[in-house]
Amino acid sequence: MLRITAQKSLAGAKVSPKHLFPIFSRSSTDVAKKPEKIEVFIDDKPVLVEPGTTVLQAAALVGVEIPRFCYHERLAVAGNCRMCLVEVEKSPKPVAACAMPVMKGWRIKTDSEMTRKAREGVMEFLLVNHPLDCPICDQGGECDLQDQSMAFGSDRSRFTDIDFSGKRAVEDKDIGPLIKTIMTRCIHCTRCIRFASEVAGIDDLGTTGRGSDMQVGTYVEKFFLSELSGNVIDLCPVGALTSKPYSFTARPWETRKTDSIDVLDAVGSNIVVCTRTGDVLRILPRINEDINEEWLSDKSRFAYDGLKRQRLVTPMLRDACGELKPVDWEAALLGVGKVLKAAGGNITAVAGGLADAEALVALKDLVNKLGSEAVCIENSFPLDGSGTDLRSSYLLNNKIAPAEEADLVLLIGTNPRLEAPLLNSRIRKGYVHNETEIAVIGPKIDLRYDYIHLGEDPSIIRQIENGQHAFVKKLKSAKKPLVILGSDTLSRSDGAAILSSVQSLSRGLQDEMCDPEWKVLNILHKVANQVAALDIGYTPDLSKICESSPKVLYLLGADDCGITRADLPDGCFIVYQGHHGDQGASIADAVLPGIAYTEKQATYVNTEGRAQQTLVAVTPPGLAREDWKIIRALSEIVGAKLPYDSLEEIRYRLEEVAPHLTRYGCAEAANYFCEALELGKKTNAPIDTSPLDVKQKTLEDFYMTDVISRASPTMAKCVAAVQKQNLSKY
Amino acid sequence: MSYFGLNKLGTLLNIIKESGGIRASLYKLYRMDELKLGTLIGTDKYGNKYYENPRFFYGRNRWVEYAPQYRLEYDGSQVPAEWFGWLHYKTDLPPDKDPGRPKYKWMADHTENLSGTTGQYVPYSTTVPKIEAWKPK
Amino acid sequence: MPKDKLANVITTYITILDSFSVNFPNTFDREIENVKMASVLVRFSYLTKNQLGLLAPLANSAQVCCYSTPPGTPPPQTKTKFGPLCDEDRIFTNLYGRHDWRLKGALKRGDWYKTKEILCKGADWIINEIKVSGLRGRGGAGFPSGMKWSFMNKPSDGRPKYLVVNADEGEPGTCKDREIMRHDPHKLVEGCLIAGKAMGAKAAYIYIRGEFYNEASNMQIAIAEAYQAGLLGKNACNSGYDFDVFMHRGAGAYICGEETALIESIEGKQGKPRLKPPFPADVGVFGCPTTVTNVETVAVAPSICRRGGAWFASFGRTRNSGTKLFNISGHVNTPCTVEEEMSIPLKELIELHAGGVTGGWDNLLAVIPGGSSTPLIPKSVCDDVLMDFDGLVAAQTSLGTAAVIVMNKQTDVVKAIARLIMFYKHESCGQCTPCREGISWMNKIIYRFVDGNARPDEIDMLWELSKQIEGHTICALGDGAAWPVQGLIRHFRPELEDRMKKFHEQQKGQHAARN
Repeated sequence: MLRITAQKSLAGAKVSPKHLFPIFSRSSTDVAKKPEKIEVFIDDKPVLVEPGTTVLQAAALVGVEIPRFCYHERLAVAGNCRMCLVEVEKSPKPVAACAMPVMKGWRIKTDSEMTRKAREGVMEFLLVNHPLDCPICDQGGECDLQDQSMAFGSDRSRFTDIDFSGKRAVEDKDIGPLIKTIMTRCIHCTRCIRFASEVAGIDDLGTTGRGSDMQVGTYVEKFFLSELSGNVIDLCPVGALTSKPYSFTARPWETRKTDSIDVLDAVGSNIVVCTRTGDVLRILPRINEDINEEWLSDKSRFAYDGLKRQRLVTPMLRDACGELKPVDWEAALLGVGKVLKAAGGNITAVAGGLADAEALVALKDLVNKLGSEAVCIENSFPLDGSGTDLRSSYLLNNKIAPAEEADLVLLIGTNPRLEAPLLNSRIRKGYVHNETEIAVIGPKIDLRYDYIHLGEDPSIIRQIENGQHAFVKKLKSAKKPLVILGSDTLSRSDGAAILSSVQSLSRGLQDEMCDPEWKVLNILHKVANQVAALDIGYTPDLSKICESSPKVLYLLGADDCGITRADLPDGCFIVYQGHHGDQGASIADAVLPGIAYTEKQATYVNTEGRAQQTLVAVTPPGLAREDWKIIRALSEIVGAKLPYDSLEEIRYRLEEVAPHLTRYGCAEAANYFCEALELGKKTNAPIDTSPLDVKQKTLEDFYMTDVISRASPTMAKCVAAVQKQNLSKY
Repeated sequence: MSYFGLNKLGTLLNIIKESGGIRASLYKLYRMDELKLGTLIGTDKYGNKYYENPRFFYGRNRWVEYAPQYRLEYDGSQVPAEWFGWLHYKTDLPPDKDPGRPKYKWMADHTENLSGTTGQYVPYSTTVPKIEAWKPK
Repeated sequence: MPKDKLANVITTYITILDSFSVNFPNTFDREIENVKMASVLVRFSYLTKNQLGLLAPLANSAQVCCYSTPPGTPPPQTKTKFGPLCDEDRIFTNLYGRHDWRLKGALKRGDWYKTKEILCKGADWIINEIKVSGLRGRGGAGFPSGMKWSFMNKPSDGRPKYLVVNADEGEPGTCKDREIMRHDPHKLVEGCLIAGKAMGAKAAYIYIRGEFYNEASNMQIAIAEAYQAGLLGKNACNSGYDFDVFMHRGAGAYICGEETALIESIEGKQGKPRLKPPFPADVGVFGCPTTVTNVETVAVAPSICRRGGAWFASFGRTRNSGTKLFNISGHVNTPCTVEEEMSIPLKELIELHAGGVTGGWDNLLAVIPGGSSTPLIPKSVCDDVLMDFDGLVAAQTSLGTAAVIVMNKQTDVVKAIARLIMFYKHESCGQCTPCREGISWMNKIIYRFVDGNARPDEIDMLWELSKQIEGHTICALGDGAAWPVQGLIRHFRPELEDRMKKFHEQQKGQHAARN
């Protein structure tokens, strides 16, 4: 497995300096003195740069963009496309701008005769064997080769050999259900290979053959299966790797792009939803350096077809024969309202992970107004000790981005690779470039980096806390340790004890930290809006609610709580409000169709406590309506009118409850670590001996985890592909 | 007689008589806005009666009396195709007396225009629905 | 020549020399030296043609001796006639395998004689001797070896240093290293030790071509013998210096003779050249400082140290000093590998050692003077060209590995060059665009030229294509493929045009006959 040692990377071997700067500059700002800047001239414009800056980066500083194919700022430098050749004064031949560090006083000419000739030559060579199938190529319109051949290429062809021997053709490869390959179009930039081995940690892609027979592919016939595989589609500068589900669907200029937020994991990746005529056509990542850089996990990228299946498009009520029958809104609201009024406050509301903050606060207000305090979320969390009162005990306190700076990461009962792939890519980045050590308490899982497996026994946590375990020495010597506790562990019966133990263990390390900004204790959630629900005041204890035998159970997108009819008292009326027909809707007496994240403007808070909002990309299907509006309408019918009529008003209410929920883009840091620890100590509960476990162990478990991805045919194909791969001998 | 118009009175009486009495005549007048005397040329299978009276000028000398079950809800499309030709002077032979008319088993029964009724034609979309709705089991 | 003019000329020469050393960081890639990529890296562009023209008679007339000499400068030029080499000046005395190649025979021939003393004189002394000798890399690029070795002789940063010997001799026409390795392996082993000492290297890796089975076998035996005799390993030659020599057999790729591809290959990766910078002297094999040198360069080092740099410098012209293994193949009566003095005239070399061109000197068509990647020179140039770095650069070609491929008039010269391009097309690693796409395109075009199935303006296009490849690639393979084509077009353009004319006339004739 690829691992660039610090020494090697310091020497600059095959790693772009910029790539390393965020890692090294932050870790060594106070220690190493800044080297003096050097002056270079780009097209006679002087610019001061740090030593080690490449020509390409120096040019970018003065706003000159040098064309490139193989260079990508988040990947190692390959320097093989030669498109970025520029003339340097006094150098007899042009230099590759992406790889060449500038030297003092260099005069770089990005638009000289030599530079232009070199570009034109490279362009001509690239096009010699590139098929002219742009009209049927899915990359058309967003193709680097197309754009750059317009800008830098020759205006006519002199490929006379087309009449004699023609162009090269390469066999397509089958690398899975997500990525379509048309290998004849490949220009061998090796971005996909570098992404696979550096970021995804899968060494399956590589080149075979030499010269013009060189091919990019998997060495043997196998799938390229990774939780981040879809990113190679964005990376590919030509149409060699395109999206299979999106193939032949649309041209980029036809689609409307809406900036939004992904809700299929707790990372809150920034996305762009591409739509046309009310149809979500594809989802692309949007750059956010604090969260997802420019990557996106496969589930977030490809599960969008789940938004078109199994949807609730009309309200339904269970009729006398016990069958759900479509009704209009009036009938549905009156029906539900009647039951709610009759329940007399004996109401329980359960919210799922995909519910947005607006709906959460509206539902809580409604239930409270009707005289009940029973609002809970389906993913449980220990209530003993500090519980959910102090944010520090349920946030990824250290944020996602700094995870790559950590020098020691302790993962407890979590599988970040599948629960939060982009957090895992950060940890892997640290592992590759920063020599980060990783230790795991929990089941042995494949994280795509080496780690020390401490065992599955939760008592190890106590041993580390008490300093009895051998690992403590390493932990103590670490400068930037990170403890990440998974939500699967917290839903155990001894979750409180484990949390308290981890809190105290982290406190011990935190006290020795010189950097007060560095937070050792981190909780990793799995669902999108767990943090917002806890912020708003939902209680995370589901079992008590079943015991309280409610007359009405109001499920707000709750499909994974495992409640069945048998758990509830006879005659309990179940209302399901959500966007997909899944477990929740099938047991419901009344179904109120809500809408999914691409259809509403709603607030989500990711695992690090960062509030972000989705925007409306498409109109809701059928009679489905925004969730908070449904609750607001219902409140009027039951005679407990909620005091907000517009999005601004409900956001104002959100602000009242928790001001940070409307500070979009900002991650509100938590504090009161010590107090949380003190409260936790009071529990004194023992830790079970049953081994720690995580729900998502292998890639198979990754794809279908919520109502949207369960409804997605593409995700089903992925699961089938993983199963098929498992049977293969490779 | 004709000087006093008494012959017209006679005709009226005759019409009333043919129509089946004063009550029936008044109903016919109310229903069809006119009372006419003519020779019954034929009756179709829906019960519409076709009359001819050459005394009226061309264009008004052939008419139909819709079957009673239609009451006031009659309209032109209730005339079947075979009678349509006779009624509109395409032919002078009524269908029962025209041997040249083709008759096949597969010929569909005449239907009146169903627009505005529940039986009317409604166009439907042939595109695949964008959203597949959940069906409760 | 009036006196002041002469003074002027001399000053120019000095400035050029100075600029050569001052320019050094820019010309750093000249350091590459290896057999296969042979001649590839000599850059014409550093010295303009005028200057070269000016220099050639000057260097010959041996009058340039009036500038002060810094330490490590070869002695001034005194000779006017070069070659033939007399037998007592030969370094490779068992070149033809007539004697025992093992340790016993090697000792008899003077190898391993006072190696300990040489080692004990220290790295600086060795490097100085090499500098004085004026030895230039024998792999093709001709970078001054003393300077190259001295880059490594700097304080260590904790990483070990390595010497890598490039024995991946794959350049068509070249067969000098294999003679050394199979008949005089101890010269190389001893050379590794001395060069290693000069660089402070921990170990030497000999990367030997996979096809050289017998050579690898002999080398391995020689290394084993040296270990057994205490000449290598811990406390090599009792000098207190620890040094290991490992052998690594390649898998038969020409590109692995490029120094960074060779390093990748040793590391177990695909043999694809790395980007420079960082140069191997900073980050080489396993991320440690490394020098890659040719077998011949290393193998002559012990003799230079024993007999003195000045002795070595006494052969050949200034800046081209020493003896050299020449491989003469092709249309000659007795093809051979022979050690000769540098700067020997090409004609003399062929007549003396190879028994003359088949059919006589007048039957000569062209000569490729330095292995397949150097441009060919027609007979008119061959008549009086001197076989050394500067002499051949002046003739718009280069010495390369000194593999002289002689073609007489029975040669189809276009087809010969086409076959070379096919070789380069097959051996291109495919990493960077101009080489991957450009060479296969050139190959297609030039094979049409063989038949004449092309338009005359395509000759200019081919020239431009070769210019588009040259200098735009990661390594020098692209240059090596572009040069033969350029040589062909430069000297045989009428021949190409003739063929096209003939082909089209023939086509027309056939067409007419058919109708």
